[in-house]
Formats: sequence, C-alpha cells, structure tokens
Amino acid sequence: MSEIDSLKAQLKSLQDKALGLFAEAADLQALQDLRVNYLGKKGELTSVLKGVGKLPPEERPVIGQFVNATKGVLAEALEKAEQVLAAKASEARIEAERIDVTLAGRKCPQGALHPVQQGLNEMTAIFAQMGFEMAEGPEIEDEFHNFDALNIPQEHPARASHDTFFFNAEGEDEAMLLRTHTSPVQIRAMQACVDAGGEPPLAVVAAGRVYRCDYDVTHSPMFHQVEVFKVDKDVSLANLKGVLQHFLSAYFEKDVPIRLRPHYFPFTEPSAEVDIGCVFCNHKGCRICKGSGWIEVLGSGMIHPNVLKAVGIDSTVYSGFAFGLGVERLVMLKHGIPDLRLFFENDVRFLRRMGA
Amino acid sequence: MKIPFSWLKEHTPIEKTTQEVADDLVRLGHEVEGIDMPRAGVQGVRVGLIAEMKPHPDADKLKLLKIDLGDVEHLSIVCGAGNMKAGDKVPVATVGTSLPNGLKIKKGKIRGEISFGMCCSEAELGLAEDADGLLILPQDAPVGEEVGEYLELEEAVLDLDITPNRGDCMSLRGIARDLAADYALPLIEPGDEVVATDDSVAAPKVSVSATDDCPLYTACKIEGVKVSASPDWLQARLIAAGLRPINGVVDVINYTMLDLGQPMHAFDADTLKGDIEVRLAVEGEKFKSLDGKDVSLHTSDLVIADSKHVIALAGIMGSEPTGVTEKTTNIILESAAFKAAKISTTRRTQALVSDSSMRFERGVDPAMIAVAMDQVAQMITGLFGGEVSITTSVGDAEDLVKDKQIKVSMKRIESRLGIDVPESADAVLERMGFGIEHEGDALLFSVPSHRHDVSIVEDISEEYARVIGFDAIPAVMPALATIKPRKLYNAVESAVEQGFVQVINYAFISADEQRLFVADDGKDLVLSNPISEAMGVMRRSAFPGLLNTAKYNMNRQQAGVALVEQGRLYDGPMYERKETNVIAWLMTGDLQDDTWYAKARRADFFDMKGAVEAWLSARGLTARFMADDDAQGLQTGQTAKIFVGKAVVGFIGKVDAEIASGFDLDADVFIASINLDQLHTGKKAKFQPLPEFPSIERDLVFLFDKETTSDAILQTVRKACGQQLVQAHIFDLYAGQGVPEGKVSLGVRFVLQDAKRTLTQEDSDKAMQAVIEAMNKKFEAELRG
Repeated sequence: MSEIDSLKAQLKSLQDKALGLFAEAADLQALQDLRVNYLGKKGELTSVLKGVGKLPPEERPVIGQFVNATKGVLAEALEKAEQVLAAKASEARIEAERIDVTLAGRKCPQGALHPVQQGLNEMTAIFAQMGFEMAEGPEIEDEFHNFDALNIPQEHPARASHDTFFFNAEGEDEAMLLRTHTSPVQIRAMQACVDAGGEPPLAVVAAGRVYRCDYDVTHSPMFHQVEVFKVDKDVSLANLKGVLQHFLSAYFEKDVPIRLRPHYFPFTEPSAEVDIGCVFCNHKGCRICKGSGWIEVLGSGMIHPNVLKAVGIDSTVYSGFAFGLGVERLVMLKHGIPDLRLFFENDVRFLRRMGA
Repeated sequence: MKIPFSWLKEHTPIEKTTQEVADDLVRLGHEVEGIDMPRAGVQGVRVGLIAEMKPHPDADKLKLLKIDLGDVEHLSIVCGAGNMKAGDKVPVATVGTSLPNGLKIKKGKIRGEISFGMCCSEAELGLAEDADGLLILPQDAPVGEEVGEYLELEEAVLDLDITPNRGDCMSLRGIARDLAADYALPLIEPGDEVVATDDSVAAPKVSVSATDDCPLYTACKIEGVKVSASPDWLQARLIAAGLRPINGVVDVINYTMLDLGQPMHAFDADTLKGDIEVRLAVEGEKFKSLDGKDVSLHTSDLVIADSKHVIALAGIMGSEPTGVTEKTTNIILESAAFKAAKISTTRRTQALVSDSSMRFERGVDPAMIAVAMDQVAQMITGLFGGEVSITTSVGDAEDLVKDKQIKVSMKRIESRLGIDVPESADAVLERMGFGIEHEGDALLFSVPSHRHDVSIVEDISEEYARVIGFDAIPAVMPALATIKPRKLYNAVESAVEQGFVQVINYAFISADEQRLFVADDGKDLVLSNPISEAMGVMRRSAFPGLLNTAKYNMNRQQAGVALVEQGRLYDGPMYERKETNVIAWLMTGDLQDDTWYAKARRADFFDMKGAVEAWLSARGLTARFMADDDAQGLQTGQTAKIFVGKAVVGFIGKVDAEIASGFDLDADVFIASINLDQLHTGKKAKFQPLPEFPSIERDLVFLFDKETTSDAILQTVRKACGQQLVQAHIFDLYAGQGVPEGKVSLGVRFVLQDAKRTLTQEDSDKAMQAVIEAMNKKFEAELRG
C-alpha cells in the first residue's frame, strides 16, 4: 500500500471513530474535549498531518485536500452535536426551572380609600369639571352662619328640627355649635366675595363633615354633605334642574330620571326636594323605593332673598340656586350599601371590599 | 298629619283613588310618608247572597250553602252558624283570603262535603271582640262587592309631612283646599248655621294686655253640660287621625282643630276665679301643665290667667286644675289668635309641645276663629246639652282676615323660574284663594289670611312653580365661567397606595380617651348635649379614634391593621378655637400572613417610619426624625418628632403598652400624625442632566458606640466626602458576637461620582481616608477589618 493510501485509510478511520464519539458525547464539556482531541493543535488530525512530510511534494496537495475535507466534516459534525446538546441542556434547564404558576404572587400591601372619601372625590370632581370652585369652612360654627343668615331665625320651627350639637358656653356672646349642614360655607363664600369688594358670578362647591344630634339605625351624629350654589344675574330654576340632571347622571354613570317636588326650606324659595328614578329597580318600583319608582336624594331651591340680603348681595339684581346633598346617602344608593352604620364602624373587611 | 280619606271627602268631592290623591299631593309639595290601611285585612271578603240552604247529610249542626257572589257559578260552602236563612246577605271569605285574625281560607272537606270558602262573623272580620253567628248584611248590600268597601272598613289614612311654612295645611280643610284648587272642585264651606245663644248665660269677661302677641281673643260660656265620652264615630276619626280620645268636650275641640285647623281650649268655668286676662307672665310665676309638669314662667311667656292663677300657656297647653273632666258642668271655650313667634319661643324655652303649639307656630288661619268656635259650641250642645252665652271678642277680627296686597313684576317671576308662566296657572291660584290682576308686566297679587307664608315675589314664584309643576320646567345648563385650575392634593390617597386602609372616625371622643394623649389644660371643646359621654369632647388627637378602630378590627380576627385617617383636630378655648387638618396613621400586628415565600412579620417603628417617609416623598418632601422622649402616651425611646426644614410637622412613635392593652391590643402599636396645614407642598421637580461618567461604590464598616445615631454619622459622612458623594446609607448593622459590649458594628455604603470626569481609585481612596479620619475624630469610631 502506497504511503498516500495508508494516510487516506488512517484519516478515514479517524473520521469514522470521531463521528462515532461525537454522536455519543454526553454533554457539551465532553464534546469540547473531543474537539480538542481531534481538531486541537495537538489533536489527532494534526498528528496525522505530520506524516504528510514523508510524501513526495506532488502528492502533498492531494492529501492536503483530503485532510481539509476531513477537518470540515468533523467541524460540521461537532457543530451539529453541539447544537443538539445545547438544545437538550436548555430543555433540561427549563424543565428544572418549572414553577407552580398558580402559587400566590408576592403581596403588595392592599390599602383602600374609604367609600365616603371616594364619593366625595367623585362628586367634587364632577362639580369642579362643571366650573364650580371649591370652598371650605369651619365645622365649629356660630348661630349666624348656621342659622340666622340662612333665614332660620331663633324662633323658626325648622331650627328645632336640626338637632344641633351645642358647646358649653364660656361667656361667649352667642352659642357655638357644630354645623348642621354645609350651607354656612355658602354664607362664608358669599361674604368673602363681597368683603373683597367683588360681586357675583359665584359658583361654589363645598364638601365636609356635618353633625346632627341624632343617633339610630338610619342616623349618624356625623356625616358628610356637599353644598353647591351659583349666584349670578338671571339664574333660574331651569338652571338648577340642568345642573342637577347633569350631576346625578354623571355620578350614577347613567341617565337617571329626576323629579323635583315642591318643598319648604327656609333658605330657598321656591324649594324642591329632588328624587331620582330608583337605581335598584330602574324606576319600575321595588321594595327600596316603596313601589314608587322614586328615591329622594337631596334638597334644593332658589336662594332666598333674605339669604342674599344677609351677605349684602342685591337680590333685585342677582339670583341663585343652591342645593345640599348627603354624601353617605348617595354612596349607599350607588353601591347598594344597606346600612349607614357600616361607614363609621370602619371594619377593614368592608372598607377593603368597597375600596377595591 | 294623618288624613283619613273619607273625612277629606267631606271637604271636597274627590273621586280619585287614594293613590292618585297621594301622587297629586306630592306634586303640590306635601310629602306623603305613607298610606295606612288599618283594616286592610278584610280584602277578598265579598257580599254573598245565600241562594240555597240545605242541612248537611252527616252533621246536625252544619248547613250546606249555595252562595251567589254575582259570578256564573254559585259557591258551595259548609257553614256551622245558625242565625242565617236563604235570601240573607252575608260576608263571604273566598279561597285565598287571609282574615284579620290570621286565618287563611283554603278549599276544605267537612264531613265529606267540599267547602269553597267561609261565611264570616263580625269577630272574624275584626270588627268585634266576639260574635254570635254570622254578620247579616242589609238587604241592599250589592252582591259581589268587597265587604270592606261596602262597610267603609278599608278607610285609607294618608300620612303627610306638612312643611313648617304651611300651617294652613295642618287641617283637613287646608289639604282639601289645595286639592280642590288643583282638581277644580268646590271646597265645601263649614255650615253657616249659627248656634243659638241664651242671654241668661253670662259671657266671660276678658281683658287683653298683650295685644301684640294676642291680636284677637274670643271666649264663650256653656252652662249645664253633661260631659260623657264622645260618640263612636268621632272617637274612630280621632284615632284614625292619630289622637287619643279623652272626654267628650276635649274630643270635640280636637276634632274641630283637625277639621278646620283652629286650636281651641276649654276651661272648667267653676275652677276659675274672676275674669280672664291675656298677658305676659311675671318672672318666676308658677304653672302646672295639663300633662302634670310644674313650670316656672318667664316674662317672655304669653299666658291666660284668671285673677289668681295662670290657667293656660297661650296656644300651648292649659293648666291641670282648670281642665275639663267628666265632672265639669260649666265650661268656657277659648278661640284666639296668637303670634307664631311668641308660641315658638315659649315652646322652646319651656320644652312643651302640643298639637296646638305645632299649629300656632306655623301660622293659623284667623278666619277660622269664629267658625271653629261656632262648630265646637254646636257639637257640644248637640252631644252633651247646655246653654251657650254670646261670645266675648277682644281685638280687631276684620283686620286679621284682610288680604295682603303684593305688587310684583311678572318678568322677574319668569326669569326666576326659567319659563313663561301659562295663563292656566292663574285659575288654580285663584281657586286656592289668591287674587290675581295683571297690568302689563305688573302682577297685583292678593294673599288670603290663611297663607302666612306668602309675602315676597319669590313666594309667589314658588306658588306658580307648584301649580305649573316642576316637571314642566326644563333642565337648562347655566353658563358657567371656567375657574382657574387648582392643584387638588388629596392627602390620604398616597397613604392608601402604600397599603393603608382609610377610616373615618367621629370628631368627638370621650374626655378620658382625650387625656391619654393630651394633657388636661382646660382647652377641650366640650359639647353641652352629646349623644353620650363617649362622644363628649371634640378630639384633639386622632389616636383614640384610630385605637378604637384597631380594637374593633383586631377583635374581628384580623392579624394586623394599617389604618390612615384624614380629618380635623379641634382645640379650644372657644374664643381662640382652631381646627387643624391632620393625617394620622396606625399600624399594629402582622403586616401580612405567613406565606410560601416569607414568614409573617410584626410591624415595628421602621415600618411606620418608612410609610411616613414614602408619604412625604410622594409630596416632594423629605423629613428628619429627632428622638422625643416627652410625647404623652408614647413610649420613651421609640418616639420622634418629624421635622420638615426647621418646623416640627408631626410625630411618630410607639403607643405606651398600657394604653394599647387598654384597647385590647397585644401587639406593639405604632402611630404617626402630620399637621397638613403646616406642610407646604414640595418643590417642583427640576430637570438635571443625567451623569455622563461612571460612579464608584465603596463600603466601610466601623465600630461605633451604641448611642451614636445614624443621622449624626451620615451628616458627618456628607461633610467629609464633599461634592462627589452622591449617596450614603447604612447597609449593615450588627451587635453581638465579635462586637464588644456597648458597641455596634455599622457599615456605610458610599456612591461617589463626578459630573466632569471619571473618578480614579485614588480619588475614592482619598474620600474614604477623609471619612475614616472624620469618624475617628468625631465618634472615636474604629474601622473594622
């Protein structure tokens, strides 16, 4: 056998053996070792090449080609084997990393906004968008702002129905009390405007805590009201209806029918109680609206000229509407909360449920 | 005000149903709180004719009846009564009816014979305590009609809430007037028959000194009355209207008050000494009221007196000794006008309320003074006998009933209502008693004596709105000027985002709970009429409320709570009262349950502090916390004042264990509070170029004395490093094995960076050297290995 044939045979058997080993390699490391063994500088292919020097010069390119072809075959086989093993390794890793995706996620602490706060936020936002300015007032009030200026003089029967909390007198000129409604803010806002030398238009929304000395299943001694009023030239009852219609539909997030019923409040004339189509039965009549299809939600009216007079606004030039609503009542209606007391028991289970 | 429907119909011939009338009353401004049907139980019981009667084949005492109810087929009923015969009409309860005694009528088999209902006795209909046999109805009873309707058992009573301005509607006549005007029906005037007087009976002598408060006082005497109980029909009406029958005379007066609206009073004439005087009380004068109260009078009280005693608080209540009883034979009747404000003042100062005062306070129609007097005198003499004197009258009756004239602009009314007033409205108002004359834009409006509430243009616009109906007024959005946008900051919302549950507590707490956190300095604002002692003073700390809420929740199987409240605190004394807006937090117990990734952990000071810092940071603020060992109710060594800049804006700490356990809280309780009024909003975020050059991170660990605060250490670090220090924080804290007693090992991590170049190892070495020296010098702190 010529030298060249022997070399060829050697390369062939080397290639066969290597391919066999490559296919059997257990992991990437074993494959790497094989690469070094066969293709490395001191590898077997190199040692075969050492025999090339013994060949006559004209035969060397022939065997050179043959070696390169073998090298190419081995390199390709290694590449393929590596890919297979890498894919296997990746699969194994992924399998090992499999988790129970149904386990609970890491908890972020869960807070909750009080439902009354949510109601306040929603309501004041609607009025703010309509162009009413926010105002605030003290909760400890005097009789002037809470009653007299609102056309409820001392001997007025309506005064008795307000169940007012009074403070122990300390030689004060007049008795101090906890405001029974947010209407004194109306007086204060108008006074502030007049005192600053200004004049209407005024469009104000005021929200806050109010107090009545009454405590049972349907009454809380503290609750929240939102007061809204507008004073300008030619403000009409029709405007009041427009604002109420917009507000109530926006708050209840649907077109609720409204109904105004003539009523009496000392600080408005004409006065109207406002009903909405029952939100539980869609105005059809149910147990909650006592079959009438209507639910009373707030009191409203055209600001009484005596109220404007009390703050120095000329009622022959200006007129206004005003209304006050009970926040808890509207929140109860919107969310179907059955009991007023839930708001002030502050059971976190209730608050979380309503605050979610 | 309870309005029996049949009584209402006596004032105007209404043909609508009670429900329709109720709806119309609502539209007219009278709130209907309910429609009572006190005897609704007999519904389904109909008038039946006994068409045929046979004995029961298997029972001697039973009869087989064929009942004609006007339907096609006759009903078979087995009946055990013995007082009926064929051709009688009887009440028949059909299958499905429930009787007032609770019995439900079912189809039944009695001794083999099927029965489809029951014939009823008076007792079974709830009309009598017991009865012997069936109720035999008159022969003209219409077959098939509901017995309730036929016997008028189903009297409906409308329960109205009369608004305080409509004193004229606190009577059947008043309500009927509004309805009659609306329905265009006649209002039936009280009879114009005048009671026969007897000159032999001397009329009472009356003098009125308080003429402002009592513009008209009339009185007459009836002698020889035999007072007994009032007749059944009258008692039934009083009961239906919500009043208790007392005796014949009192009942007639009450009946007339309900009927016509004029409250009257009757005195036992034989208990009076001398003449009657209407005057203001003498300070300290005594009066024993009909309901047995001893009252000490003031000079502001208007009274009726004889020559010896006060015999009545005008318009409110008579005195006990002069009241009419069953023994009374001679009576004096009073019918008068009293000023509303006067009655209101006495009602309030003396805390005495009556059906009479309710009406006088709201305004009574003076036109009824004489009419009511006549009606009462006629009814009393008709029912109980007696001779009537002529009536003494002091005051100008004619002046009182004069119409008021108001002249207003029609344009102004229309501009207030936002619509053009239709002509049809005038007719309704005229039927209500108003006089209307138009002269161009001018409206000449005359107001009758019963409408005290109408005096200005707005009142007239209200009357128009009422009769036009609010439904007819369109909804028109007003032109609203846009307002300057203002940044609304809701303090509580970012706390909620951090996991706190917002609560709302009452603004009043008990004085005892106030004392837990606020010293007794006399500055509490104390309610004079609290709901209870537990709600007696205005809170000056939010913590008692939060602790109570924590207690409430921990008692309901919560492992821990994190609460936040926003509200006001109220400080006295009253003449320099202050309402302060605060936000307050409370944390106690486990922050979360055991989970697969972590064990439950109890809240500590740094949880609370972290929450406060995060809350401030959301507002663009940073704070420093300085130990405070003097805060009341909080544990020394775990309490700090919160500084923003140089101002103390709040505090944070652990609630004293004894206080916490007083609220049944076993775990440590941490609270914090920040004064929102004192807090400025943080600076607006300002752009800074991002750093171009890399930063270097270095760690140093020192041994410090235990007392050294991290605040002091970091301040010194900042000074030592200068401008290149971007950040420094404590990354490790250790005391125990390997650390000497009284010392603590504390690691500080530094981030250094320069805006203009890349820092070298040398740069950072230099900075670290400076820190090491500063630590040595300031705290004698040694660098650890």
